[in-house]
Amino acid sequence: MSPPVPSDLGYVPPDGGWGWAVVFGASISVGFAYTFPKAFTIYFKELQAVYSISYSQIAWITSIMCATTYGGGPISSILVNRYGSRPVVMFGGLLCGTGMVSAAFCTSIMQLYICVGFITGLGLALNLQPSVIMIGKYFLKRRPIANGLAMAGSPVMLCTLAPLNQLLFDNYGWRGSFLILGAILLNCCVAGALFRPIGPGTASIKTQVPEEGKDALKQKVTEDAMEMSSPVNLPMKNKTEEEGERDCCEKINQYLDFSLFKHRGFLIYLIGNVLMFLGFFAPIIFLAPYAKHIGIDEYSAAFLLSILAIVDIVARPTTGIIANSKWVRPRIQYFFSFSIAFNGTCHLLCPLASSYTGLVVYSIFFGLAFGMVCAMLFETLMDLVGAARFTSAVGLVTIAECCTILLGPPIGGTLIDTFGDYKYMFIKCGVVMVLAGTFLFIMNYYNYRMLAKEEKERKAKEEDPKSVRTENEGRNNWIKETTQDGPELEPLREEQEGLKKEANGTSEV
Amino acid sequence: MPAAKRLGRLLLLLCLYLSLSGGSPADPAMTTQDASSQFQANSLTNMKNGLNESFPEPVTTTQIVSWQTQGSPSDHVTLGREVSVPGPNLATKESKQTSNQSVTSVHYELLLPGASGTSVETTIILDKVVEVELTCVLDKKYSYLKSFQVTWKRGNETISHTNKTGNSWSIKVTVLDSSKMGSYSCTLKGEQQLSGIFHLQVPKIERKEKPMISYIGDTAVMNCECPGYTATSWTWYMTNGSKQIAINESLLTDKYVISKKSANITQLKILKLAKEDDGEYWCEAAFGLGKSKGKLELKVLSYMAPLKPFLAIVVEVVVLIALVVSYEIYSKKVKRTEAEKEFDQIEHLKSEDSGLESSRARQRRI
Repeated sequence: MSPPVPSDLGYVPPDGGWGWAVVFGASISVGFAYTFPKAFTIYFKELQAVYSISYSQIAWITSIMCATTYGGGPISSILVNRYGSRPVVMFGGLLCGTGMVSAAFCTSIMQLYICVGFITGLGLALNLQPSVIMIGKYFLKRRPIANGLAMAGSPVMLCTLAPLNQLLFDNYGWRGSFLILGAILLNCCVAGALFRPIGPGTASIKTQVPEEGKDALKQKVTEDAMEMSSPVNLPMKNKTEEEGERDCCEKINQYLDFSLFKHRGFLIYLIGNVLMFLGFFAPIIFLAPYAKHIGIDEYSAAFLLSILAIVDIVARPTTGIIANSKWVRPRIQYFFSFSIAFNGTCHLLCPLASSYTGLVVYSIFFGLAFGMVCAMLFETLMDLVGAARFTSAVGLVTIAECCTILLGPPIGGTLIDTFGDYKYMFIKCGVVMVLAGTFLFIMNYYNYRMLAKEEKERKAKEEDPKSVRTENEGRNNWIKETTQDGPELEPLREEQEGLKKEANGTSEV
Repeated sequence: MPAAKRLGRLLLLLCLYLSLSGGSPADPAMTTQDASSQFQANSLTNMKNGLNESFPEPVTTTQIVSWQTQGSPSDHVTLGREVSVPGPNLATKESKQTSNQSVTSVHYELLLPGASGTSVETTIILDKVVEVELTCVLDKKYSYLKSFQVTWKRGNETISHTNKTGNSWSIKVTVLDSSKMGSYSCTLKGEQQLSGIFHLQVPKIERKEKPMISYIGDTAVMNCECPGYTATSWTWYMTNGSKQIAINESLLTDKYVISKKSANITQLKILKLAKEDDGEYWCEAAFGLGKSKGKLELKVLSYMAPLKPFLAIVVEVVVLIALVVSYEIYSKKVKRTEAEKEFDQIEHLKSEDSGLESSRARQRRI
C-alpha cells in the first residue's frame, strides 16, 4: 500500500454535485487556452499578404501568445491566492475578449503582437491555471476522472474551433472574424461564473449530513473538530503569527509559495516535465509536413491530425478513469512516467512508418499517448504537492515549462533543415521523452520510498501513548465545555471520529 | 538526501541555464500546412537555385527528368523546368534539356497507348521562346502492328516535317509566339487507332480562389503569382458592369497601388474601400508566348455585418452568467431557510427538554 497524500484542504471536497458543473467550466477554459493559438494559424496567410511580412514574423504572434499563457502562470497563482478563482477567470475572459476585439481594428503588425499576442495570451493564462486549481478544490476521490474530463476539453475545442475559424474567415474576413472570436472568448466568463468558491468556511453547507433533529449542532461540532485536526501548514502559520514573526518570506510565500522549491516531489516533477516538453509538441507540428514530405497529399495529411484529435478525445477521460482505479491511483506517478516513455517510444518508431497506413497507426498511438500524458499532467502535480499548495505549484511549473515548450519546435525545425530528413527530429523527441519518463520513474520510486519512511515515522509518533492521551483529554474537555447534554456526547464523539477517519481514508485510496 | 538535493538543484540550474540561453521563440503553435509549405518551398527553391547555377550556356548539359503518372496524385519534386501536369493515363516521359546558344530545346515523349483506351494526353507549360521536340513512341507490345500510318496534326492542320526512327515519330516546333501554341496530336491509324496529344499552354496564374472579404474604409490587398516562370508584364483589370477596364495610369491615383513584389508576384492594393469597389478583378500576365488571366473576387462589407453575430454572442454570454448567478443565489437561499428551520426545531426540542426537566424536578419536589 503506498503512502497516502493527506487531504490538506481543511475540508472534505464534495467529489460530485456542483463539481461536475465546475468540470464543464474548466474544460471550456482549458480548451480555449490550449487550442486558441493552434486555431489562430488559419489567419496567417491573409495577414502575411495584408501586412507584407514574412512567415517567421507572423509566427511571432502565436509565440508571444503561448509564451504569455505559460509565463503568466505565477501571476495567475498570485491572483488566485489573493482573490480566489472566480474573479480571476472572469477577468481573464474579459481580457481575452477585449484583446481580440481591439485586434480587429489593428493597423500594424506591432499592434497585433500586443493585442492578440500579449493581451489575449495573458487572458488565457488567467483562464488556464485557475480552472485546474478549482478541480483540485472540488474533487479528491474522483480527481483523476475530473482532471481527465476537464483536459478533454482541449481536443473537443480544437475540433470545433478550427472549422469555425475557417467558416468565420470565409464569411467575414479576418477583421470580422477577430471581432466575433472576441465575443466567443467571452464565454470564458461563463465558465468563470460556474466556479463557485469553496473552502473550509463554506464546507459545512456542503457536507452531506443525514436529516436528524440535532443536525445543526452536530454540524457545528464536526466543523470545529475538523478545524482542530487541520493540516500541518495552518498550525505552523498560527504559531508564527502568535510568535509575531511576520517574515517577508512568509508574506511572499502567502502569495506565491516559493518554499515549494524545497519540496522533493515538486522538484522531481519540475525537472521531469521541463525535460519532457522539449520533445512534446514538435511531432504534432511536423506530422503533416512529414506526411507531405513522404508523398501523401494535403487532405490525407490533415486527416492524420483529425485521427489524432479523435483518439485524444477518447483517451483523456479513459485515462482519468484508469488513473482513478484503486490499482493505479496509489502509483499514479508510475503510470505518468510510463505514458511519457510510451509517447517517446512512439516517436522513435515513427521513422519506420513509410506508408500512409503506417502513419495512420502512428497517429492513433500518438493520439493515445498524447491524451494519456495531458490528462495526468496536472493530476500528478496535485498528487505530489497536495491541493492547497497546488495554486502556487502550477504557476511555478508553467513558467519553467514555458522555456522548453518554446524551444522544442525550433530545435526540431533546425534538425530538419540541417539534415533534410524528418527522422532525426523524431529520434530527438523520442529520446528526450524516454529519458524524461525514465527519470521520473526512478525519482518517483525514490520519492515513494521516502514518503513511506516519513509516514512510518509519523505513525510511530502518533502511537506514542503519552501524546494520544493528552490529545484525547484535551478534546474531551473541550467538548464538555461546549455542550450541555451529557448523553449525547457518545454518539457525537463517535460521529466526529468517524468523519476524521473518513477524511484520512479518502487520502489513503 | 543532501546529495539528492544537490543533484536536484544542479539539474534545475542546468535546465534554467539551457532554457535562458536558448534561441528566439519561433513557432510553438501548431502550424501544419504553413510550416510544411515553408519547408517545401525552401527545399524547392534551394534545389532550383542549385540547378540554375549549373547551367553554363554553350556547353550541352543534359538533365533527365522522368516521372510516372499513376491514378493517384502525389507530390513530385522535379528538377530543372517543372512543366507538364501529367495526364491520367500511364505514360512515361523523358525530358532532356540541352542548352544551345540562346535557344533552349526541350524534348517530350509520349508512350502509346495509354493504360485505358487509346488516347494519351499531356500538358506542357511554356513561357519563353523555346524549340520543342515532340515524340510519340510506340509501345513494344504493339510492335506486331504492320501497316499503319502516323500523322501529326495541330487542330485540323497536318504537319509534314516529321522524323521517324524505329518506332518513334517526332516533330520539331519552334515556338516563337502564341500562334504556335495549342494542341499537337500524333495519330496512328491502322488496325488500331492510337493517339497522343500534347497541349502547349502558357502558365496558369495562381491566386486566391475564394472571394476576398474586406470592409468599408479598409485596404484590400490582392496578389497574383505564377511561380517558376517570369512574366514580362502584368496588367490589372476591374469590371464595370460587363466591361473590363484596365487599371492604368489614369486611374492610378491614391486609390489603386500596383506593385511588383518580385519577378513572378504582383500586388494590387485598393485603398479607402467603398461599397462600389465590390466585384471582380482580373490580373493578366503577359508572357513571350501569350497571355494568361486570373480572376479575383472582392466583397466589401460594412461593419454591421460581423457586429450582429458579435452582439448576439455577447447577449448569450450575459444571459448565461445571469442564469448561473441567479441559480447560485436561489440555492443558497434554499439551504439557508432549511438550516434556519432545523435550528428552530433544535431550539424547540431544547425548550421541550428543559420544560420536561423542570416538570420532572417539580414532580420530584412534589
